[in-house]
Amino acid sequence: MADLAQAQAGATMPGQPYMELVNVWKRFGEGDKQTVAVRNVDLAIQPGEFVTLIGPSGCGKSTLFNMIAGLLPSDSDGSILVKGKAQQDGALLGKVSFMPQRDLLFPWRTVLDNATLALEVEGMPKRLARQKAEALFPEFGLKGFEQHYPHQLSGGMRQRVALMRTFLFERDLILLDEPFGALDALTRSMMQRWLLDIWEKHRRTVLFITHDIDEAIFLGDKVVVMTARPGTIKCQETITLPRPRDVSVVTTPEFMEVKKKLLAVVEEESLKTFASATMRP
Amino acid sequence: MASGLNALRSALPVAAALLALLLLWQFGTTALDVPAYILPKPAEILATALGRIGFFGGELYVTLVEAVGGFLIGSVLGILLAVAMILLPVLEVMLMPLAMVINAVPSIAFVPLVLLWFGLGMSSKIAIGALAVVFVVLLNLLSGLKRPEAESINLLRSFGASRLGILWRLQLPAGMPALVTGLRVGLARSTIAVIVAEMMGAYSGIGQVIYQATAQVDSLTVWAAVFVASLGSLALYGVLVALDRKLVWWR
Repeated sequence: MADLAQAQAGATMPGQPYMELVNVWKRFGEGDKQTVAVRNVDLAIQPGEFVTLIGPSGCGKSTLFNMIAGLLPSDSDGSILVKGKAQQDGALLGKVSFMPQRDLLFPWRTVLDNATLALEVEGMPKRLARQKAEALFPEFGLKGFEQHYPHQLSGGMRQRVALMRTFLFERDLILLDEPFGALDALTRSMMQRWLLDIWEKHRRTVLFITHDIDEAIFLGDKVVVMTARPGTIKCQETITLPRPRDVSVVTTPEFMEVKKKLLAVVEEESLKTFASATMRP
Repeated sequence: MASGLNALRSALPVAAALLALLLLWQFGTTALDVPAYILPKPAEILATALGRIGFFGGELYVTLVEAVGGFLIGSVLGILLAVAMILLPVLEVMLMPLAMVINAVPSIAFVPLVLLWFGLGMSSKIAIGALAVVFVVLLNLLSGLKRPEAESINLLRSFGASRLGILWRLQLPAGMPALVTGLRVGLARSTIAVIVAEMMGAYSGIGQVIYQATAQVDSLTVWAAVFVASLGSLALYGVLVALDRKLVWWR
């Protein structure tokens, strides 16, 4: 898996980002009723980079994600480029490994067959797909649960199955939309460390949405902050904390300094959202 | 083994209730001296049914073939229509009002017409059985196919799945519980429609037996036929419960 990612990443020019968003907009509705969900987003993601994206709720993060996954066309004023090539409507479908907020496991499939879903869609024979998935079970902490059904698993385990499904769909870019949002704090911090382990081993490019600043700093090479709706990018912060990171990093002065800075920005944006929501007649 | 034991345990109260009812019936009719043409004793009904087992068995066979035949044709038609409507929404817009109009009339109302078109033989009963099934299967399956949320459909789209791939991997499995409900209601409907159609015009079948015996004021045969028919429906119901477990295995 790592070979594939490297091979494909190697195809990009040195210094060329894997994905680039240039002046991306999304408006819904027409005329007076028009709302702007995303406005003028410019963002570059380098190959192998772990980018985290934070912003107040309802800032258009998910709209942006859906556009990057190819599920929603972006407005015609901007473009989304992959390795320097503009992606027309729907061209991104099947090119990005996408994990929505909810696990969306299919209740009629076993854990193993949920994990192989994307491979099956790609047309891989069932037997091969299962073999491939089975090899990942120990790493994802799911060994022995292959034949269980989703309703028999805990929330953290379900989320790991969904992540495995995303990982098995071997694409250069992985989109994770608040994957740990619904988990309790303890499970969440365990999952964060585990995700970093997996990422360091496989080195895929990751774009990770969260509304938790600690999570964003702890995981990311770069933290991108979005403004209140209509969402655009407010600032970007490169995180230089050494890797591999463990829990103790959260209490270092460097971490605190970045957090203080980002907190001020996020707070400001959250207040705007709050104010516009409460002042609405 | 354990499931067999559980099944037996849950069947026990039903059997006990049934037995109590039969005993009450038997002794009640004896004590009150109810004449046989109003309500015969269960022992006599059983004796009549067993005494002419070959005759009743043959007639039941005709009825079951018609009911199951109609059920199968109607179900397949209903399933195909539902799938076609999901793949081509314009079909739903065009055909659904017509389906609603036909479905608003009890299928029994079409019996005279169907007898005219298909004759008194088995084919008219199969046709009326199919008519009784097709819409209930169509409506149930269609609502089941529409159950998956946009999020799940988007997940499959992001994997590059085609329209058919989404139908096969998501909508059909998600629609199975609704389909099973439709099939269950449909089977009961087709059995009823077939028996009533037989009473209105047929060469054979349980419905015709009931009709003729009623005309001859032979209440024992009427009751025996009803008894045999209910046994037949019970067997069909058992098949459907097994089908339910097969189609909705994950519950």
